[in-house]
Formats: sequence, structure tokens, C-alpha cells
Amino acid sequence: MHFTVVRKYIAVIVVAAVVTLAIVAVLSLPRSYILMATTTSTRDTGLLPYLLPQFTADTGIDVRYTAVGTGQALDAGRRGDVDVVMVHAPSLEAAFMASSDGLCRNMIMYNRFVIVGPANDPAGTGNATSAANAFLRIYQNRSQFESRADNSGTYNKELELWTAAGQNVSTFGGWYEKTSQGMGATLTIANNREYAPGKPGAYTLSDDGTWYALESNLRFLRLLYHTGEAVLRNQYSVIPVNPATHPGVLSGKAVEFAKWLVGSRGQSFIGNFTVNGHAIFTPDFVPGDPQECR
Amino acid sequence: MTMSLEVGGLMKTFGGREVLRGIDVRLSPGEIFSIVGPSGAGKTTFLRCVGFLTTPDCGSVRYDGAAAPADPTALLNLRRRIGMVAQNPFLFRGTVAFNVSYGLCVRDVEGPALKEGTAKGLESVGLQGLAEAKASGVSAGEAQRVAFARAIVVRPDLLLLDEFTANLDPTNVNILEAAVREYNRQTGATIVLVTHNMFQAKRLAHRVALLLDGRIVEVGPVKEFFESPQDPRTLAFVRGEFAY
Amino acid sequence: MAGDIAGITLLSLLISGTSTLVATLIAVPLGTFLGLREIGSARLLRTILFTLYGLPPVLAGLLVYLLLSRPGPLGFLGLIYTPLGMVFAQTLVVTPIILGITTSVVASVERRVKETAFVLGADARQLQVTVIKEAAAGVLTAVMVGFGRAISEVGAVYIVGGAIPGKTQVLTTTIITDIQQAQNEHAVALGVILLVLGGLVYYLLYRLQEKTLP
Repeated sequence: MHFTVVRKYIAVIVVAAVVTLAIVAVLSLPRSYILMATTTSTRDTGLLPYLLPQFTADTGIDVRYTAVGTGQALDAGRRGDVDVVMVHAPSLEAAFMASSDGLCRNMIMYNRFVIVGPANDPAGTGNATSAANAFLRIYQNRSQFESRADNSGTYNKELELWTAAGQNVSTFGGWYEKTSQGMGATLTIANNREYAPGKPGAYTLSDDGTWYALESNLRFLRLLYHTGEAVLRNQYSVIPVNPATHPGVLSGKAVEFAKWLVGSRGQSFIGNFTVNGHAIFTPDFVPGDPQECR
Repeated sequence: MTMSLEVGGLMKTFGGREVLRGIDVRLSPGEIFSIVGPSGAGKTTFLRCVGFLTTPDCGSVRYDGAAAPADPTALLNLRRRIGMVAQNPFLFRGTVAFNVSYGLCVRDVEGPALKEGTAKGLESVGLQGLAEAKASGVSAGEAQRVAFARAIVVRPDLLLLDEFTANLDPTNVNILEAAVREYNRQTGATIVLVTHNMFQAKRLAHRVALLLDGRIVEVGPVKEFFESPQDPRTLAFVRGEFAY
Repeated sequence: MAGDIAGITLLSLLISGTSTLVATLIAVPLGTFLGLREIGSARLLRTILFTLYGLPPVLAGLLVYLLLSRPGPLGFLGLIYTPLGMVFAQTLVVTPIILGITTSVVASVERRVKETAFVLGADARQLQVTVIKEAAAGVLTAVMVGFGRAISEVGAVYIVGGAIPGKTQVLTTTIITDIQQAQNEHAVALGVILLVLGGLVYYLLYRLQEKTLP
């Protein structure tokens, strides 16, 4: 008698396990949506919840994304775990295309890198003559600086600027801090650090999108240096993963996505996107690139 | 139903100490056979060997003339013909009725047969009213009665009782002894009664054996054992001259 | 915002609940079997299992990620970045926990339970069932602890699930991505839900445990 009762309990657990597994399985397979790997910076701008539904409305194709560091995003593409990558690191993208991991590449838009820092601007970056010069001033002042120090496009741009300023980051002292975090987290850290005892705020290189999105939460920071110079352009590209080297990726849908983004509707949506009243993205597709998606 | 039991040359050593040094004894079907002796003499070990709880080092045990079978199903069936009640028994979580019915559940008895068997078992020890009580809440005497009912409800052919009324008050001792007698009368099962209470042995047993230092010193019908024992040690034991 | 909180909460419960159920079905019978064997090779096995007991969830996540990623041995299943993949990872985390506690509890169940059931004629399977029943309170504890670990861990589900909004975001991973995006109020709201959920489940199981205690 009690063995049958126990058997009933076991049966209940088995049934529950099977039912829940079935629900989970249905939620997991098969995959009809495109999976995109993009960066945390892209996510932090808030563009995707605005843009992607427009694509879905036009084509009926669902797009989901995982936001990670640039390095991991490209790695996900290399592994074939995602169908398309959207990053902003041209040199790394070139390598991605060269290794045949990318099928084609559409340059879709750019926003700008900006220098933010404490309201007082102790290093005087507001008066700099160029971005490289602004970095030089930060170095000369040894002002507290937060570096993302991950494999991101922003970090690579930061290193580029230090080099342009004639400096070698390995020589930097304690004023130069590596956060190894995404843009939002790094800005928060910069907001919480002090450039001098009792004086909050540190410098960092950010993209304007993330900055405008989070500005109201970063009380001690201000936008100090932002110009249209070419070196500060943060170029975004969309790269469908190559089905020849990665069978299983939803290549057709991914290419349709890449083409929509550079079509007139995609480009105008990009241009109309604002963050707290600022239109941060400049759509910049120009046809004729041999790597363009057709 | 009943069973004959033959034990030959049974030996067991525990951690250097020889507990059983060669036990030879033969039980006829249906008899109540008591083993008496001081504590530590090996009585419990003997029962555990017969009941498959302990493996003897050497010697043989034959049930109805045959050794224990190797085939697992046959061995299980043999085991299920043997019942055992220990001193300070362990009761399962749940009700008294559940405990009593456990052996029946194990044998896949269900429904009305289960209810009936359980009720009869409780009646035989006078615990009909306690069926739904929690096993953890009963007194020591009641617990022993529950354990006894639990053992006999499956009608074992061989029943092993290990000091099963030790530490109980006279009322409970009486109830349990009456139950043993009644069970033996109803079923003719063979019963091995280990006790250090001579009076109980006198009251219940057909034959008595004295176990001393791992050996059977004397065996005999109950009257002769107590009134005219052959061995001087038996005489000394019966007179209560043994230090425990 | 409220709509997505409900979805995230439900997914958390679904994933951690499923993992705990599957882990229970594996670990409780296995733990009982190991707990009943008192000597020899079982002890070595138990030592190995107790080491797995301390397996950090993030390590389980890494392992499962390498298994389920396309180039990996199970990549063809297409489970990376899916809820099923996350269940796989959490089951790996929870099974050793339930297994370890069940084995301990069953091993410590009084020897007399086993002997009493034995002399009353129980065969091996019936013995197991009886022992589990006697150890029920302890086994329930094992399941509680397992679920608690599943619902509150973040390393495994983050790595294997990818924190995809609307698909693989659970309470813990959303708290992380919220903080990354400086959406701290949202994170706190989710944290409160996590606390309440955990508390609720523990309370329910505590009541169940009370009923099974002698």
C-alpha cells in the first residue's frame, strides 16, 4: 500500500519533469528567428528595441540578440552560434572577413566617440585642438582615467588615441584604471571615482549613444570633448555569418536583414532614432563596396 | 505453516572475540524453543545468523532440511517465511496501522485483505484502538506490541524473538506472552525465544537451551532443564548464581 | 515594463524548476543507492561526487557552453542560447547537490530501519523506497537546497543562455544586464521578486517538511 503511494509520488514527479521539459523544448526549438551577436555598447544605446521591430513589421522575420563584448560577438560568429554580427571595430571586422567567417559586410551607420569627465575638466580637454591632443592633456595632468580594457571597439579606439598622443599605456601609473566592463558600467565607475580627494568624476572615452542614454544617472560627469573629426567616428557594420564555413546559420534571413538596414527604410529609421532628444546615429551606407551584401 | 531448523557448527568472530564457538541445535517444527544465558553469550548473534542479518564465519543452517538457496527469488521467499522481533524495536514513521501492515504491503497484499490482516494483527495484541495513532507517540510497551503484531501479521513459519519483553511491565509481558502462545497454537509455527528471564522460558517454552561462552551447554525439555539439569553450570544458572 | 517582468519571472521558475525536477529524478535514486552501500567502491564514488558538489555554477556554464556551441560535440543540437541549453546547464549544477545531500541523509538513516525492513521481507527495491520514506525530510531538504541554488545562480544561465531579451533572460541575468546599463531601479525590483520567490518556495517546502517530520 505505501509502495503504491510512493509510486504515485514518483509518477507525479516524472510527469511534471516531462511536461516542463516539453514546454522548455518548445520554447527552444526549432529556431525561426535570426540570432545576432552585438556589443553591449550597441545595446546600451537603446537602438535595437526601436529598430528591430520595424524590420519584423516589414518582413515578418524576428530578430533576437545577445549583447556581449566585441571579441565575444565576433567569436560567436566564428563559432557559427549566431547568424549575424553587428559590431563597430573595423580592423577586427577585416580579420573576420579575411578568415571567411563573414559572408558579406554592410556599413550601416556611425556614432561618435566622445570624451567625458568631471564637470571641472581639470585636464582642460575642452580646449584641446584634437582628440589626440585631448588625450595628451589627460596624460600630462595624470587625471583619473577609466579604460574599458576589453576587446571592444571603444577600447581599441582609446588605444589608438593614446598612440596618436605619443604615449604608451603600459607606462601609465595608478591614475589609469582598467575596468574590463561594458560602456554603461565603465561610465558608472567613472562617475564614482575621484580625480582628486573629495572631487568626484573621472575621464573616459565613451560613445555618444551610451552617454546620452545614461547622462541623467551620471551626476558628476559632463560631455567635455566632442567633434566631428574622422578619428572619433564609431563605424557600425552588419556581417551575416558565412554559411559555407558554418552550415546551419539562417543565412538567407540574415542577408535580408543586412540589406534592409542599408535600404531606404532602414537608413531613415536609423537617422530618426534619438536618445533624450539627440539623434546619435548617422546612417552612412554608400553602395559600391565589393564586400556589400547582395 | 511451520519450519524445522537445523544448525550445525555455527561459528562467528567479531573483531577478535569469538562470539559463537560451534553451535549445534535442532528444532522440530512447531516447537517453542528458548535459549537462555547471560548477556554477551552470543544469543543475539545466533538469532541474527539464522535471520540473515549476520553471516556466520562457518557452520551450516538448514531450513526444512535445506541450506539457504543461492537463487535470489528463492532466498527472498525463504526470508519471507522468517520473522523477527528485537528488543526496543524500530517503528517506521507513520501510524501504528501502517507499521503493522508493512509486511503485508511488502508482499503486495492490498485492499480488504490488507485491512483485515492489519485489524487481526492489532487485535492479537489488544491494540485495536490505537490503529490511527502515530507510531512515534506510543509507550514502550505499546511499541513492543506493535512490533510483535507487525511480525506475526505475515504468518511467519519461523519466528525469532530476541528479549522481546525485556524492560516491560508485567501487564505488557502477559499480553505478549499470551500472543506468542496463541500464535503458536493457531499456526504451529516454530518459535525461537531468546531470553534471560528464566521464568518466561519456563512459562512459554517446550525445550530450553543454555548458551554459555558461545557454546550450547545443555538442551532439554523444559521440565527437566529446570528441575533436574545434567550440567552443573545449568544448575548454577537456574539457581541464579551467574553474575551478569 | 511590467509585462517583461512577468515573462522573466516565469522563465526563471520554468528553467530552475525543470532543472530541479530532472536533477531530482537522477539524484534521489542514485543517492539512495549509494547511501545504502556502506563500503568499498561506493566510498570512492561518494568522494568524487562530494567534490562535484562544490562545482561552481559558472564552471558548469563554461563546460556546457563548450559542449553546446556549434563546434562542440553537442553543437548539432542547436541548444546554445536557448532555454533548453540553460536547463541542461542548471541540471548539471543541481544534480550533485541533491545527490550529495541525499547520499548523506540515506547513509545516516538508522541502520535499524534497513534491518527492520529487511526482516519484514522487503526486497532491494522496497528497501530503497522505505529508506527514502524514512529519510524523506532530508531528501526534501536536498531538493530545496538544489532549487535554491538553481534559481539564484547566474553564471551558468548567463554563459549558456546569452541573456537574450525576450528569450533567455531570467531574473539573475537581467539584474546583471540592468546594472550594466545603469538601470538600477529595475534591477532592485527584480531582486525583490527573486527574494520573495525564493522565500515562498522555501516556505512551501518547509511546511511540507513539517508534515513529514515525526
